[in-house]
Amino acid sequence: MSKSNIKNIILIGNPNTGKSSLFNSLTGLNQKVGNFPGVTVDKKTGSFKIKQTKITVVDLPGTYSLNPNSEDEKVAKNYIEKANEDDIIIVVADVTNLKRNLLLYTQIIDQGKQVILVLNMMDLLQKNNQEIDLSKLSNLLGCPVIPINARIEKGIEELKHAIISFQKKENSFIESNSSSNVVDETMLRFNKINQIVNECLIKKGEDKSYLLTKKIDNIITHKFYGYLIFLGLLFIIFQAIFSWSSYPMDLIENGFIWLSNFVADVLPKGVLNDLIVNGIIAGLGGIVIFVPQIAILFAFITILEDTGYMARVSFLMDRVLRIFGLNGKSIIPLLSSTACAIPAIMSARTISNYKERLITIMVAPLISCSARIPVYTILIALIVPEDSYFGVFNMQGLLVMGLYLLGFVAAILSAWVMKLIIKSKQHSTFTLEMPIYRSPRWKNVGFEIFSKVKIFLFDAGKIIIAISIILWVLSSYAPGTKFEEISEKYTTETIQQQHTEQEIESLIASEKLEASYAGIIGKTIEPVIRPLGFDWKIGISLVTSFAAREVFVGTMATLYSVGDEDNTKSIREKMMMAKNPQTGEKLYTTATTLSLLIFYVFAMQCMATLAIVYRETNSIKWPIIQVVYMGALAYLCSLLVFNIFS
Amino acid sequence: MTLDQLIENESGIIKHINDENLAIQLLAMGFILGEEIKVERIAPLKDPILITSGTNYISIRKADAKNMDIEKLK
Repeated sequence: MSKSNIKNIILIGNPNTGKSSLFNSLTGLNQKVGNFPGVTVDKKTGSFKIKQTKITVVDLPGTYSLNPNSEDEKVAKNYIEKANEDDIIIVVADVTNLKRNLLLYTQIIDQGKQVILVLNMMDLLQKNNQEIDLSKLSNLLGCPVIPINARIEKGIEELKHAIISFQKKENSFIESNSSSNVVDETMLRFNKINQIVNECLIKKGEDKSYLLTKKIDNIITHKFYGYLIFLGLLFIIFQAIFSWSSYPMDLIENGFIWLSNFVADVLPKGVLNDLIVNGIIAGLGGIVIFVPQIAILFAFITILEDTGYMARVSFLMDRVLRIFGLNGKSIIPLLSSTACAIPAIMSARTISNYKERLITIMVAPLISCSARIPVYTILIALIVPEDSYFGVFNMQGLLVMGLYLLGFVAAILSAWVMKLIIKSKQHSTFTLEMPIYRSPRWKNVGFEIFSKVKIFLFDAGKIIIAISIILWVLSSYAPGTKFEEISEKYTTETIQQQHTEQEIESLIASEKLEASYAGIIGKTIEPVIRPLGFDWKIGISLVTSFAAREVFVGTMATLYSVGDEDNTKSIREKMMMAKNPQTGEKLYTTATTLSLLIFYVFAMQCMATLAIVYRETNSIKWPIIQVVYMGALAYLCSLLVFNIFS
Repeated sequence: MTLDQLIENESGIIKHINDENLAIQLLAMGFILGEEIKVERIAPLKDPILITSGTNYISIRKADAKNMDIEKLK
């Protein structure tokens, strides 16, 4: 393909203009998410083909103008400034708010860039009793103007055609250097925009677009109902995660038990068989099973953002969060943290005040993320039966909600402490647009779920499989001739008379595990975690959890699979039967299980999050502080809980 | 007078914004000098407030509203 057959286009526009819908329509599934160099702002790129021409598309973060107010906006501004002279910049504007949206367009034109103006939400214009003269607008602005309705993909073909038939030309909006002061310059632009809009936009009646939104706001931001609705929503989300998802999860669990039996039978017996069944399949099964819960959680978060509800919650919570050194905008990272701290910490970029942003980043990982769900689910099942109800509420669901609440309270209190410690003189603001309420764009929700589950399965999955294999090796081999000695010990006649064949097998297996390399690692850290009620097997899990918390489940699966030759039991059943080798009593007592749960609520056990914190704060100091303060919190609280319940 | 002195559903004309950064930000969000501004709602805890100008609808803190000089409409 020759160079002339490739074109680059850049999408830019105000927030809430339907830019991402357009991006999805243009590129379909042919897109990937990366990073802009040096910063962790999501860089969405994609491509499509039209008449032998390959068009690559870059989607920039939403911005109101080229006078940046946040990290996100800075990225958009820098990218536009460095854009190639052949790149076509597509300014996506909300036609129902044309005046404001045109400001960005005029700034980009005056940078000497090539622009196509896309007017989105054309359908709403009619509803608002307005009409627009498109050819006049195109003439006055001196650039192609394409009307679209991204929601139903109307106008996309016309836009594609405009892109390939685009002709470069010189253009400017206001005279350069006409004012040194940004405020005066912006007013100059608005004066000219006003004239143009008045000529092109015909008002045929009253604009009623905001009437419904304001009515809904009367309830959503009500001093009593507002908070009630918010709490109710949270409650529904958590119940959904724990009851709706149980059916697909059972299916997946049974599927993996079947798969491991099948593979164990088909493959010849030996090391490879053992590695695949007890290493890889066991580790993988522990991950795939949580896809339904993660999909549901991301679905809710995307819907709440997409409908405009999240902005209202921020508005309701700003005054409260300010007490704790946070910002109303912190509610988005804090709520997103229930899914994953990584996108959450990145979304803190919209907070323009450095101190508030830093505190949000520092406490976000205390909020229980979806990676903790597997751990919570499996541990809670050990102490609360599945069919136990408190009234109509599922007891397990309530307990998980309690753990989430605990994480949230810890985050808020830590934020308050940090507010007292971290010094800043920067002015703090809460200027946030309240988008009009609209039904969620299901396609976007679908894209979001798809990409998040993909990241979870493949990015996390890779690490998890690698760790599963390492663990299997560490737990299947021992230094020197330890294993042979153990096998020999059990061949003596006295032991064979005292125990059945099966008992001997499991005794050998557990002794071998203890003697293995994994056992040695676990035993080394055991003295430190013994006061919390943990044994060396849990110790191994705590170490491997550093790759990702959900690895806990895979680790447990691998550790307890070694020795279970029949693969008939789920991990939960195996853990339920686990015994404390010293006392011979059940290992996962209420005290130990609760202590472990608390540990997972507080401890900073995620390398990926630490890496993001390092990049976002641009300093090694903050991730280190985070590990230390969260670790201390986890240790002390687990110690306390274990001693109360034992 | 300043914007923070308005109660719910009262309107005014934006005269001047004393903080330059705030002025640049609000202009870009569609709050243009000389145009009408209305307090739609005051948060349950008295702060922040929701304001509109034309079809632009945003929230802003009282402290920033204090920096916005307005002329109250009857």
